[in-house]
Amino acid sequence: MKFLKSRNTQTIIIIAVVSGLLFLALSGYLTPVFNLSLNPLISLQSWISVRYLSAREFFTSPRDVTFLQEQNALLESQVTQLQTQLIVFEERLGEAQVCFALLDFGRTNPQFSYIAATVIGREISPFMQYIIIDRGTNHGLRYGMPVVTQQGLVGRVDAVIAGAARVKLVTDSTSVVNVRLKSAGIEAQLTGSLTGDVSLDMIPLDINVEPGDVILTSGLGGNFPANVFVGQVLSTQRDANELFQTASVQPVVSFDSISAVLVVTDFEAIDITPLIPEP
Amino acid sequence: MLISHLVCALSLVVFFILQTAIFSQSPLVSGTADMILLFLVAWSLQEEVKNSWMWTVIAGVLVSVFSAMPFFAPLIAYLAVVGLSKALQRRVWQNPLLAMLIVVLLGTFFQHALYVIVLQITGAPIPWAQSLDNVILPSVLLNMIFALPIYAIVKDLSRRISPMEVDV
Repeated sequence: MKFLKSRNTQTIIIIAVVSGLLFLALSGYLTPVFNLSLNPLISLQSWISVRYLSAREFFTSPRDVTFLQEQNALLESQVTQLQTQLIVFEERLGEAQVCFALLDFGRTNPQFSYIAATVIGREISPFMQYIIIDRGTNHGLRYGMPVVTQQGLVGRVDAVIAGAARVKLVTDSTSVVNVRLKSAGIEAQLTGSLTGDVSLDMIPLDINVEPGDVILTSGLGGNFPANVFVGQVLSTQRDANELFQTASVQPVVSFDSISAVLVVTDFEAIDITPLIPEP
Repeated sequence: MLISHLVCALSLVVFFILQTAIFSQSPLVSGTADMILLFLVAWSLQEEVKNSWMWTVIAGVLVSVFSAMPFFAPLIAYLAVVGLSKALQRRVWQNPLLAMLIVVLLGTFFQHALYVIVLQITGAPIPWAQSLDNVILPSVLLNMIFALPIYAIVKDLSRRISPMEVDV
């Protein structure tokens, strides 16, 4: 027993136990013991950590909300700016599409020279169908020049001043245009009306006119160039007591929303009024 | 007096531009409101205003020159309507708003009847029944709708300029 009480012996025993434990730990024999003892500690640490993080988030979140609100306001203003830009670009795209369409019409009809003009107003009196365009004598416009769009015939210049001109539409009640029905191969007169509807007149009774027939200018009378698209026949009205049949026409140009036109500048209208015998 | 002329000239230009650029392009059926007529009627019904005849002539000539309507028909129509408003102003002076509505109603009918007659004289095929249905009645309705705001604007304008003229 004295042997065990000696200091050296105790030291050797402690070293041996520690060495044994180290050996067992390194060789993996103590893993179950470690797991058993460390798992509760890990769970406890996780619990404390989660609660701490939640508490920290709770206390620091107001600053984040303010930051997010600032970011949101900034983004909203950027969205507003972008929406404004989008509207501007859409408007420019619409204008460009109109310009391209007019240019396309000019390319497909290269026999004439054109001046593009913007519609800036309409006739004050509701009984008359006229538009006002932003080109006048300063730009080479003259009385009687035909006016078209990429779709077809619009009318002719009725009055012109230095910087603007008034165009009489084919829908005006006093407008008469000599036209040709493409499939039927006959000529007729296109007349406007008070309401802006257009109709065909002077169609012989023995001619069969079908809905959908294409109507082109005939060039007769010298007021308009020939072969400009005007519209299509919607329906015909035939009365046995009348000398001619009439037809409703769907104009190819949408006169309510017309915004830009082309003025044919090198077509010289011929005034045949002196040649018409007076009654 | 100079301020009154200036305000009237500017207002006339503004209403003319509004008429050709907006109101003539926004028809109801085929009828449109006539802002210049409404302005002239409202202007002539103001007690402080003394220059309504002169500006009616100027407005009538301006519209007649720019319009395709022949024989200076707008000038004749505006003069007649302002004459009616002056006549009613003395009789219905207690209630100028009522006078405004009566003048706009009768004046629009007269103006459009005159236009139809003038166009028929020039050979335009304008039937009365179709004109009444598609143009005259919708125009009367639009003019009656816009009569109240135009009267309020013109009344405010005339009241704003009249103290200045008293001070001068």
